[in-house]
Amino acid sequence: MSTELTPLTPPREAQVENANPTNEEQPFDVRLEHALSDQHMHAALERFAPSWRDSRAGVFSYEEQEYGPDYSFQHMRSTLRQAKDYATEHQPELVARFKEMARAAGAIVFEARTAEEANRYIYDLCQRKGIDLVVKSKTMVSEETELNHYLEARQIRAVETDLGEWVAQLAHERPSHMVMPIIHKTRQQVGALLSEATGREISREDVAEQVAVIRVEHRKSFLNAGMGISGANALIAESGTVMMMTNEGNGRLVTSLPPVHVVMAGYDKLIGTFAETMTQLRLLARSATAQHITSYTTFITGPAIPGHEMHIVLVDNGRSEMRADPRFKDALRCIRCAACANICPPYAQVGGHAFGYIYSGAIGLVVTPFHHGIEAGAGPQSLCVSCNACETVCPVEIPLPGLILDVRSRVVEAKGLHWIKKLVFGAMARPRLFNVATRLISIAQFPVTRGSNFIRARNFGILGKLPLPYIRPMVKLASWHSLPAFASRPLRDRVKRQLERYERRDAIDRVLPDRVPANATSRLTVCYFAGCMTDRLYPEMGQAVIHVLQTCGVRVTFPLGQNCCGLPALNSGDRRDGAAMARQTIIMLEQALKESEADYILSASTSCVATIAQDYTRLFEDLDEQGWLRRARELAGKVVDFTSFLERMLAEGVQLPVRQENGEATIVTTYHDSCQSCNCLGLRKEARSIIRDALGLELREMPQADVCCGFGGSTSIEHGDVAERLLHNKLRNAESTGATILVADNPGCLMHMRGGVDVNGKKLRVLHLAQLVAERLE
Amino acid sequence: MTMQTTTNLFQRFQQRLEAAGGEAHYAESLVEAADILAAHPALVQREIVVPPAFEARQPWGAILPMLAERGIAISEAGDPASVADFPAGLSSAELAIAETGSILLAENALPARIVSMLTLTHFALAQAGTLYPMLEEAGSALQRLTAPGPDQRHYISLVTGPSRTADIERTLTIGVQGPRALCVIIVE
Repeated sequence: MSTELTPLTPPREAQVENANPTNEEQPFDVRLEHALSDQHMHAALERFAPSWRDSRAGVFSYEEQEYGPDYSFQHMRSTLRQAKDYATEHQPELVARFKEMARAAGAIVFEARTAEEANRYIYDLCQRKGIDLVVKSKTMVSEETELNHYLEARQIRAVETDLGEWVAQLAHERPSHMVMPIIHKTRQQVGALLSEATGREISREDVAEQVAVIRVEHRKSFLNAGMGISGANALIAESGTVMMMTNEGNGRLVTSLPPVHVVMAGYDKLIGTFAETMTQLRLLARSATAQHITSYTTFITGPAIPGHEMHIVLVDNGRSEMRADPRFKDALRCIRCAACANICPPYAQVGGHAFGYIYSGAIGLVVTPFHHGIEAGAGPQSLCVSCNACETVCPVEIPLPGLILDVRSRVVEAKGLHWIKKLVFGAMARPRLFNVATRLISIAQFPVTRGSNFIRARNFGILGKLPLPYIRPMVKLASWHSLPAFASRPLRDRVKRQLERYERRDAIDRVLPDRVPANATSRLTVCYFAGCMTDRLYPEMGQAVIHVLQTCGVRVTFPLGQNCCGLPALNSGDRRDGAAMARQTIIMLEQALKESEADYILSASTSCVATIAQDYTRLFEDLDEQGWLRRARELAGKVVDFTSFLERMLAEGVQLPVRQENGEATIVTTYHDSCQSCNCLGLRKEARSIIRDALGLELREMPQADVCCGFGGSTSIEHGDVAERLLHNKLRNAESTGATILVADNPGCLMHMRGGVDVNGKKLRVLHLAQLVAERLE
Repeated sequence: MTMQTTTNLFQRFQQRLEAAGGEAHYAESLVEAADILAAHPALVQREIVVPPAFEARQPWGAILPMLAERGIAISEAGDPASVADFPAGLSSAELAIAETGSILLAENALPARIVSMLTLTHFALAQAGTLYPMLEEAGSALQRLTAPGPDQRHYISLVTGPSRTADIERTLTIGVQGPRALCVIIVE
């Protein structure tokens, strides 16, 4: 046969599929708009997310209780991470061993460098064997290489036999989720598709009847197909075995009945031993569907039947490039469980057709540039709110949030930064300019704030209705959450006076001495890093922080040279300005520590804490600036957040002079876990203990307290629709508790939530934890 | 293994398998296993399909005459079309794992394999002595069974409950392409 194939016109099927607004052929904006308008999908994903979280947590805690700490999520994921890292590091040896053992067992192994090579090999095989019907069980790699199109364009029919994949195929769509391909479809839509495909009326309501259809419809395909194509969940090097996990039973038929079985798998599926594989199958089933194990876990080592063939196509398609990258090689640990999609707040708003390319979820944002190019990954990555939830559930500890930001930086490098961001970050990186600019704005904003703390949409009046650049988008943003006004007197001005007053009274040693225990903590000095949001927008939060600390007998210093830590720029992929702000902050803090002899650098913005204590080191590692890296590491050890600092002081015996309620109605509070607090710093109990135990207030847990409020830095500006939905959920959950005060410990969340409360006229006070504590002091 | 630990293990196995939608029985002897089978609702049509040469399989072959005595017609599995949707199939497992309620099937021959793939109710026999607490034991067995040589098992499955899907609106539905019911009998 000829080795050169003339490209064929794609058949009608492919054209229909490409025109579908869910298809990756469509521009990202089209996919996103379609996703945002798909209410069925949105409702399904919103129902699914909390139920998955609960069942997943349940299955892991059950195992840990029953079998001990060796079977805890943390322990197992660290074990599997090590096994997968070993496999990546020793890939050539593992490949050699796998090939040797698989070949000894009678399998044929083919190594494909590109998607085209993989598809071509399979097509050639069909040609050679005269095969025109192929049955498939789920394989993400074949989606990656777009095998179905390739075969269909060459007159070979490929039938998906997994129920969800088949329905997606009938709808000319791609799966929107790696584990639940048609989570975006309703039973009515499925019934209609099945009726059309079978030419007879299938129930639109009865799922059992719909499921029964596939058994009948596919039986003939199974018996007549010349080839079965499957994926692999693991390639076990020690024995040359392919592991495949399924629930429906189609996988075993695809790999048993047709005389030729082809496995498509990425090199990342290699793993050393069966022992390691047992950990993988536990983690995969539990992370994916909260099952202890899937119904069928199949291990195939060469063809079992005389005359049958087994071909294993190992696909590279960008994986070598990942393996060579010191950061992105971590992504090769992925076992495709989709936990990172299931936990992801923006994913739950838009689904996998927009939040991803072919691979969806957080891992999709990370691997897409390698498999399908940076252009394909540019749109989807912009949806990430950097909440870091994905990293907490990843069963192989992939540092997904950092890798997504790396992708973002590459996108910015390739496509440039949005001009507004360029302007803003450029200004923020110049402290004097930023200082003057914010002071000017605080005066100029009057027409739209009218002296309030908010820039409100309605204050724009007729101006807001005109199609003016700058103004119109701002009015649109303010229409669902009022924007914060710049304070006329930033914290730095107020604090100067406040600190001077305390110094004069020699407050440090004399503040409430009877309540200060005679141990070292009572003499602590902290250098207070407020963060630009507190400084410029919410100086009263900063004053509350200082007040509470001083009440605890802590000496507080406030370096006036402080500026933005660089987080907004870094989170937007602007490394140049971000690194400039990081260096400034390091110099400023080092000097402040030296001058004040402070024990800690304290911030009441957990975002700033995470940036200084965690992101700086990663940044300077990437930039390979060893001097700055060393300084960043040293500084990181000194940084603490307000919440855990206060909790520790209280635990060590410091008594807060809390006001007793005199006949007031009980104050009911609810607490929002800021993403940086819970996901980056691991804080959960601290703030709750302060509210309940130290302040004696009632705390009612809201549903999904630790799900992102939607702020997500500049994502809330870029994707207002997504941010608005997340904010709506958050405020609805907070209100459902009946609380009158909503507490958090991160100014970004507070700003976002206050804006929403202001627009919706809700009866909630949104306070920083420090403000709540300050209010309750005598 | 002491009686006590066997009982505990079986209880755990049963609990996990039931949670996965399967069914587990404990039989003191092969006779008792035959009784359980004969009384099972899935055998109301009094027929069952078994892998070829099952009568020669140790120690399970002896159950076939017992089933015949109880009025069950036994067919030997042949081509897939003939086994498809057969009301009941019987095969044997290499071992069972209590942690997950799984059985390990290791059959090379297609007719033996499809008994657990295409029938409506799949019955599997496993020896109590091969019921292990944790998946690690399955890992060791896999290593042994896939070792190169004439006895190499090419096709091994850990089966845990019946075939299932939750693809449509996350509604759990039992019985997609595989059996709609799985019944494991652990025999002492």
